[in-house]
Amino acid sequence: MMILAEISGWWYGVAAGLTMLGLGGAFAIVLLIASVKLKVEVAPEVERIHQVLPHLDCGGCGFAGCMEYAKAILQDPGLIGKCSPGGPATSAKIAEMLNLQVSDSGPQKRPIVHCRAHTDDRTMYAEYEGIQSCTAANALANVQACAFGCLGLGDCTRACKFDALHVVDGLSTVDYNKCTGCTACSKACPRNLIEMVPFRFENMMTVACSSKETGKSTRAFCKVGCIGCGVCAKQSDAFTVEDNLARINFEKYQPCGQTEAAYNKCPTGVIVYRGKSAPAPRQPARKEEVAVKA
Amino acid sequence: MDRFYVLLTGFLSVVLVNNFVFTKFLGTCPYVGVSDRISSAFGMGLAVTFVTALSGTLTWLIDDLVLIPLGLEIARYICYIVIIAGAVQLVEMYVRKFVPSLYKAFGIFLPLISTNCVVLGICLFLDVWETDNLLEAAVLSTGVGIGFTVAICIMACIREQLKLADVPDCLKGMPITLITAGLLALAFMGFAGMI
Repeated sequence: MMILAEISGWWYGVAAGLTMLGLGGAFAIVLLIASVKLKVEVAPEVERIHQVLPHLDCGGCGFAGCMEYAKAILQDPGLIGKCSPGGPATSAKIAEMLNLQVSDSGPQKRPIVHCRAHTDDRTMYAEYEGIQSCTAANALANVQACAFGCLGLGDCTRACKFDALHVVDGLSTVDYNKCTGCTACSKACPRNLIEMVPFRFENMMTVACSSKETGKSTRAFCKVGCIGCGVCAKQSDAFTVEDNLARINFEKYQPCGQTEAAYNKCPTGVIVYRGKSAPAPRQPARKEEVAVKA
Repeated sequence: MDRFYVLLTGFLSVVLVNNFVFTKFLGTCPYVGVSDRISSAFGMGLAVTFVTALSGTLTWLIDDLVLIPLGLEIARYICYIVIIAGAVQLVEMYVRKFVPSLYKAFGIFLPLISTNCVVLGICLFLDVWETDNLLEAAVLSTGVGIGFTVAICIMACIREQLKLADVPDCLKGMPITLITAGLLALAFMGFAGMI
């Protein structure tokens, strides 16, 4: 391209300055016009709701971050109770903002691991040296004798963003003081051992086993598994036995003499308390004392 | 035909032989930072390609039409930064308004990389290589972006596997990533002399 002007001396600085000014000015004007014409309206209500949320972007509500959740709430106010880390305080604030009556969304949900076998309690078929992930180990057969129980390789621990899940002696354990109920652990477990339960009381009683094998088989490979003997069901109607496995109905559960009796009479000690101040689990009765359903 | 051959070799050179991440070590910040997951890595690659293509051509044009005729090559650095930042900002606003799906894919990365050295790098290299026509400038700058995309996607695939591998504790995270980047650079050295 041909040279338009031969600039020398101090005019050079002036020319450079003017060019920069011109260029900068041109872009500034274009951007100014664009910022007005290409404006994306973010409703101020969305911004107000977003301010109240905890900004953790944990995804526990089911949306991709707090901003998405705020937008969704505006569309459908029925989604208000979903923020677990925020808790009822946040829900109340949002409801107030939207001038709605919010009925108490119920007790907070917290995870319960339906297994209580530590490394010593369970039987392994082989020493597993594959990919150290529960999903990987679950895809193989015969890693662990119990096909239903916790593998202890930490998929839930890695999923938890609040440092509330740890693998303690081979068993996934929840720290209820840190848990916010975001459900990430529940979704991460490949054996679906972690259930989100409404914690109506500080400590919930639960049957910490998921083994549907017959009592004899379960007993053979796990010292603390549920043998389906039905003693608990006889004590309290909150318990039912189905598929060789006792289950507790969390809606019906009330701490009372009957559930206490079931807790004490369980031969394997698989009924435990889970919660912030839960006592240590009972030890299983000796093998000879157990009435096994063959 | 000759012209096409020049463009093709230029493109291949910038993508494989003289990959900007592996031979010139530009753009390593987003390269190491965003290569955790393949989805975000690909989005980042797209964003970089877009920005380099846009900035390369635009800055070459301004250089050719304004700076050289006025003898103001000295103002190149500042000029380029103004143009890059302004153009990217403009495009981001446009994309956010009119193509929200594309914005979701890579929109958030655009402001992050507008002043990344890989973008300014290609603009300045177009002068060093004495690019003399617009088409060549466009092809080369797009090629740089595509080279970055290739590099970051390979790295993302490797890193996803590394997450499950048995890495020694002292090397977990950034150290093993940098070692991997070095090994990839060595591997890409195999392309030298191809063109």
